[in-house]
Amino acid sequence: MTMKHIVLAGLAALMLAGPAASDDFERAAIVMPGSISDNGWNQAGFEGLTQAGEALGFETAFSESVHQPEQIEVLSDYARRGYDLVIGHGGEFQDAVERVAARFPETKFMVNNGLGTKENVANADFYFSQIAYLMGYIAGSMTQSDMIGIIAAQKFKFTTDTVAGYEAGAKAANPDVSVLVTWTGDWDDIAKGKEAALNQISQGADVVWPTMDSATLGSMQAVQEKGVYGIGIYRDAINEWPEILQSAILDVRGNMHSYLERAAAGELDGVLYRADMSNELAMRIGSFHPDIPVEVVDEVAKLIDAMKSGALVVEPQ
Amino acid sequence: MFDPVLLSDVLAGTARLGTPIAFAALGGVIAERSGLYNIGLEGQILAGALGAAAGSFATGSALIGLGCGVICGLISGLFLGYMSIRLRINQLVGGIALNLLLAGLTAFLSRQIFGAQAGGARVEGFTQLHIPLLSDIPVLGPSLFSQDPLFYLLIGIAVLAWCWLMKSHKGLDLRAVGENPKAADLAGVPVLRMQYLAISVSGALAALAGVHLVLSQVYVFAEGMSAGKGFIALAAIILGRWSPIGAVCAALFFGFCDAAQFKLQFSSPEVPYQLFLILPYIASLIALVILGAKASAPASVGLPYDREHR
Repeated sequence: MTMKHIVLAGLAALMLAGPAASDDFERAAIVMPGSISDNGWNQAGFEGLTQAGEALGFETAFSESVHQPEQIEVLSDYARRGYDLVIGHGGEFQDAVERVAARFPETKFMVNNGLGTKENVANADFYFSQIAYLMGYIAGSMTQSDMIGIIAAQKFKFTTDTVAGYEAGAKAANPDVSVLVTWTGDWDDIAKGKEAALNQISQGADVVWPTMDSATLGSMQAVQEKGVYGIGIYRDAINEWPEILQSAILDVRGNMHSYLERAAAGELDGVLYRADMSNELAMRIGSFHPDIPVEVVDEVAKLIDAMKSGALVVEPQ
Repeated sequence: MFDPVLLSDVLAGTARLGTPIAFAALGGVIAERSGLYNIGLEGQILAGALGAAAGSFATGSALIGLGCGVICGLISGLFLGYMSIRLRINQLVGGIALNLLLAGLTAFLSRQIFGAQAGGARVEGFTQLHIPLLSDIPVLGPSLFSQDPLFYLLIGIAVLAWCWLMKSHKGLDLRAVGENPKAADLAGVPVLRMQYLAISVSGALAALAGVHLVLSQVYVFAEGMSAGKGFIALAAIILGRWSPIGAVCAALFFGFCDAAQFKLQFSSPEVPYQLFLILPYIASLIALVILGAKASAPASVGLPYDREHR
């Protein structure tokens, strides 16, 4: 037994003794559609589970790049091996999870950004339009050309809500603004991501918000080359791209931590856990670009307060 | 569509989106002309992209990155050649195996090389080259004569490859190998050597597609960044009637469809976006149906050559 093993064993013992650990919650697994180093959705899911597992003291496992045809097999495999919670990372797992969940009633399932709950199937997602409203408000306040853009891959609840919130926020800040929407059909095609952003910029947009996975890199490359502003997603992206005005931090890790805490305590129900601006662990804004005037920063703070108090309700919920 | 600024934008987009497909298609043409399918284009694009990113990341020089990418492509081509020529594995299966291998290997290696920065490590790349005088031409100037150096390299290689393949003795030998290797062998053409040469060059050309993605477009490596371009290139080969220049034109046509659909999304927002996204595929399907009737594929493509076999 090496030193490292002794330390690890000690840590494990400490964790098992900790109050968060429950006797009947020992193992959780996550099944993801893409690679755990995509700097986006999949990496967040992987880290969310492993970090929560370390903090709360349960064993974790993951499967990456699992495509539609393999979903059922991979999910059932974890259930068969006795995992207490099996997470499908993304709405595309909804159907597969429902089918597997019916066969393993003792196992709890979770679909991140899921589309429906069952007795043993829970969902977790975000109030997307709320944070998109704030991004739209900032973009609408900062545009010189009265034209801003948003790029998304495919049309479904996450993207349509985000687009709707972004448009509403931009109109609230600047009634004259027009919003360009581009659908690329691909989350990871970097060349298309760049082309989409170049097109919006040549059309006159001076703030562009790419909301894909790896393809976002391409869009931000165009934003940098053309000297316009961008908006970040998932993490405080100004650290990587100085052109970022503000970031919509959809902290999948934080959101997962919230529900994994419940799961570890044996309190995870088959309901929808939706994170909004009042759950800062899961959803918050990042750092402001230095160009943003202080009045806009103050106004955004007021909007956030109004959202928390319920005075401002952004549609669609 | 006839607004000059718009047209210029679409043409520039055509060159950017079409160049990687064109490099890969050119590689495919050379391989198929020698009688070997190269289904591994998709993986070889990734190999070239990773080689370019790693080379440029390590040395800070885009040219060395270019060299590293091409070498990765050559090696992957030789490996595919070994499987198809020496081991006589089914060439489709060998190519698919190579794609799977390289998709996993590049993902693994990129995590080793770029570490936690995976997908975020910026590397030095090429800047746009404005050709004097020509870049001042309206419409065509800002779009076609202000591209990155690899676009000009593509045009140069395409013309050279066409001249070599169609007009030179060696090119005739290569085509003979693809049509009837037995006859070529009897005439004294070194069949296997020609095939090894063709498949390695094919890998290097496919790798140039990846090099273009990394060093001319986004300056980072991302897993799976080939995003199906190697498969679209296979269609471009057929559409281009197995001619180097034809394949490049077909690839640029696909690029044009892609570039145009981004513009059409703005001008007609009420049309479902999926319709625009399938535009390149519909266009190529129609083109294939119209042109496909008189197939002109090399006669022995896909059949392993065995000297001892009667």
